[in-house]
Amino acid sequence: MLIPIGTIRSNCNGFDAIAEIAVKTKNVWLDSVEFDLSFCSFFEANMAAPLYAVIARLRDELNDVTITNVPAGVSTILRKNKFLSVFSQPELTDTNQTTLPFKILKLTAGDQFNDYLDTYMRGRGIPAMSEALTKRFRQSLFEIFLNATIHSQSKAGIFVCGQFYPNKHRLDFTIADAGVGIRENVRRYTRKQKLNSCKAIEWAMTEGNTTKTGNQPGGLGLKLIKDFIQMNGGKIQVVSRYGYYDFSANGESIRKMSNDFPGTCINIEINTEDTSSYCLKSELKSEDIF
Amino acid sequence: MNDQVKIKVADLIGSSLCISAEDGQKVFGKVEQLVREGKQVTISFENVTMLISLFLNVAIGQLYGSFGEETIRAQLKVEGLSSDDMELLKRVVDNAKKYYSNKKSYDDAWLEEDNNLEEDNNEE
Repeated sequence: MLIPIGTIRSNCNGFDAIAEIAVKTKNVWLDSVEFDLSFCSFFEANMAAPLYAVIARLRDELNDVTITNVPAGVSTILRKNKFLSVFSQPELTDTNQTTLPFKILKLTAGDQFNDYLDTYMRGRGIPAMSEALTKRFRQSLFEIFLNATIHSQSKAGIFVCGQFYPNKHRLDFTIADAGVGIRENVRRYTRKQKLNSCKAIEWAMTEGNTTKTGNQPGGLGLKLIKDFIQMNGGKIQVVSRYGYYDFSANGESIRKMSNDFPGTCINIEINTEDTSSYCLKSELKSEDIF
Repeated sequence: MNDQVKIKVADLIGSSLCISAEDGQKVFGKVEQLVREGKQVTISFENVTMLISLFLNVAIGQLYGSFGEETIRAQLKVEGLSSDDMELLKRVVDNAKKYYSNKKSYDDAWLEEDNNLEEDNNEE
């Protein structure tokens, strides 16, 4: 089966295009699937994570997935970020070191994720950001990563990658899984079987809402990230099944995609020039907490 | 008998990363038991390098499901947190108080509003 892939950017169309691939290959098994990138003039590096969510499912169905006819420019990006290594194509040294490579992490790999961030976010082309910004960003990534491990219910793992764009002062980081999606979790929790993806994402983005069972409070992680993104001037995108959500200083929007993305993907983009301190003006004491 | 107990989180969970729900549950279990026994508990975050809301929800937020605010305020202290992590813990605690005081009300309010919309938005 031959699947053409065009230009993929980190926006609603890009995610929809990846979801379309999933739809086209939905019932394929024990087959050869060739992704033909002849007409792909640009592939934004962080989109390797959601694309792999589709590929992971194909590999689960024992399909042989290959990526062919990758134009030179795109090949450079996808070899630098080690995505093509997953398809036995040689990697390329990232001389500018602006890449946080594509990696498949197991669901229990919190420590491994920490090592990954330590390795790739320190002393490389990734800018020396203020300590406060680095800390908030890492905290946000952990919130997303751990959320994925709890909610995805996918054995295929969690797919991560990132890219720094020096000229745009923008650092993107993407975490995807091939799991059940937000809609499924919210439907189960609220017992609303007809709930659509957009409504489910809206529900999940509301402070205090969580599908985590066990009588524990939760539902704070995404709200904290939104607050951080707002102050930072960055952006967060959440894609799950038919839902595409984004939030930035310009506002919040949610729309339905034409195709069904099989899993969940969260992309967070930060403004690396931000020097806000992210601390309270008045310092809290232990007795003020409880 | 000593009524003052310090729990060093990093030692207890064997990691400087306070990120997982499982580790949070371990801390919760110890703290809950000690508070129940009437001890004065200090939770020390010394040597912790990463702390997220998900962990704190389980480790500390969950205590509000077992004890009243007065008990927690009287018996619990934290130390070794940076000011921004104190802010994070405060958010977690406020969220937990809300959660246990009117559990499910978020959902119910939200679902009521959604009742009229679900048919129109059906996906499959």
